[in-house]
Amino acid sequence: MIEIASIIASMLIAFSIGSNDTSNSFGICIGVGTITMKRALYLLGFFVLIGAVLQGQKVMKTVGGEILHVNLEILVLSLIVSSILIISSNVNKFPISSHQIIIGSLAGSGLVFGASINTMTLQKIVTAWAISPFVAFFFSILIFAVMEKTLSRLPVFEIEKTLRILILLSGIILAYNIGANELSTALGPVVYSGLMSPLQAALAGSLLVWAGAYLLSGRVIDTICRGITKIQVYSGFAAQLAAGLTVLLFTQFGMPVSTTYCLIGGIYGVGFLKGLSTVNIRLLRNMVLNWILTPSGAFAICYGIGILVLNSGS
Amino acid sequence: MVSLFKRIVGGKKEAEVLSKIREHLSAIKTSCEIFYIALEKNDIELLKEVCELEKMGDTLRREVALLLYEGAFLPVIRADLYNFAEVIDEVLDTLEDTSISYTRVARELDPHIKEMCLRVAKINLKMSKYLISAFDALGEDEDLRDKTIKIRAYEREIDIIKNDIIKSLARVEVKTYWEGKNLSDFVEDLVEISDYIENAADLIQILNVSLR
Repeated sequence: MIEIASIIASMLIAFSIGSNDTSNSFGICIGVGTITMKRALYLLGFFVLIGAVLQGQKVMKTVGGEILHVNLEILVLSLIVSSILIISSNVNKFPISSHQIIIGSLAGSGLVFGASINTMTLQKIVTAWAISPFVAFFFSILIFAVMEKTLSRLPVFEIEKTLRILILLSGIILAYNIGANELSTALGPVVYSGLMSPLQAALAGSLLVWAGAYLLSGRVIDTICRGITKIQVYSGFAAQLAAGLTVLLFTQFGMPVSTTYCLIGGIYGVGFLKGLSTVNIRLLRNMVLNWILTPSGAFAICYGIGILVLNSGS
Repeated sequence: MVSLFKRIVGGKKEAEVLSKIREHLSAIKTSCEIFYIALEKNDIELLKEVCELEKMGDTLRREVALLLYEGAFLPVIRADLYNFAEVIDEVLDTLEDTSISYTRVARELDPHIKEMCLRVAKINLKMSKYLISAFDALGEDEDLRDKTIKIRAYEREIDIIKNDIIKSLARVEVKTYWEGKNLSDFVEDLVEISDYIENAADLIQILNVSLR
């Protein structure tokens, strides 16, 4: 019974990723009319599955196998707390990183239940969280500079045509990353506690991501579409591709990193090129606060609940 | 891979919009040609074709609007493309107005004024040709500035001729208020065509920088 609760919690996280993060990958494509919502959903399902199957195991191994040895108590507590936090933040439209919640919850649960935590791996993950937005920042500067030297010199209708294809391409990269990185972070503990095989987890997780996107992502995408004319497609694409490539790079090293933080890093990169006046300092401050409070909050909640459980048991 | 992307992304609507705008621009050129010939030969019957082309232009503008509304092109350039379709429709509307007002003054038109009007009509025709090549330059690796500069230069030339026409008109004796008004309307309409063509050329310049 308790095993099933863990699997359900992990699948709820997958569902939540689908409902919320489809907008990260195909929101702009749908908003600018490059593809229809229906086509975007097919592409999302396909590329999330490909990402989870081809490269997901690297992140699954880091999260489920390297941070700590996941036993059933740790698994249940961390995944249930993570799923509640992720779903409630999505419902309340409060942007938080699912990676940080899962890792924070795992560390908190592990500590309270006496598991030996590999601080080296944890340190690597936190370093990856810290440097990934900066990598995206530099990638976006590089991409934007290359675009200025190549794409910008084409006739305007050629630029438009190429941009439509490139926006779709970067959407596909982000969808692939959802499978290879974000979903795999949620599936890692379930796989490494032996409840599911990597393939079973990838198939079920991708299906749930797709279901979440199919049933609930319309609202988020609609919000993006309504403000789409304000989006600078040209620079927006540079930021999006930079974020996609950064997550892809960190996935190679098995590091679970947030697409949203990389996207913000990419946007700041383009903003930096266009002049510092475009940089929103308040947003940057909120991002740093969020970055610190999210994993430590998840850690504290799991640790606190664990203490309560242990005390009630004794 | 690129063809697969093209199949997913589509591009049919965009091609259709461009084809309709080209058809619209071509209707302007044809109307300018017909108007010039009709003015030269004093053939009022020919001007009916200008009215037909104007109706066709209205249909084309509506079709372009619908395609843009359905999602052709990236949103950042949709508004500029629709504005362009509207402005070139204004060119055709003004050509129709000029044709109608000409039918009212054809018999009384002073030969000297007519000769100046013919010069304006000829420049309008040249401008319409440059407008087509300026629009085509948006999709090809051609120098756009060269074409829009020529359009502006022609427009200035028409402004000079307009002043001469007005000076000559002041010396023409009119028998009734309506005769004078019709004459004035005709000249105003005729010189206004180039203003709209110049506006269209300005929009092409805006389109050219909108995505860079």
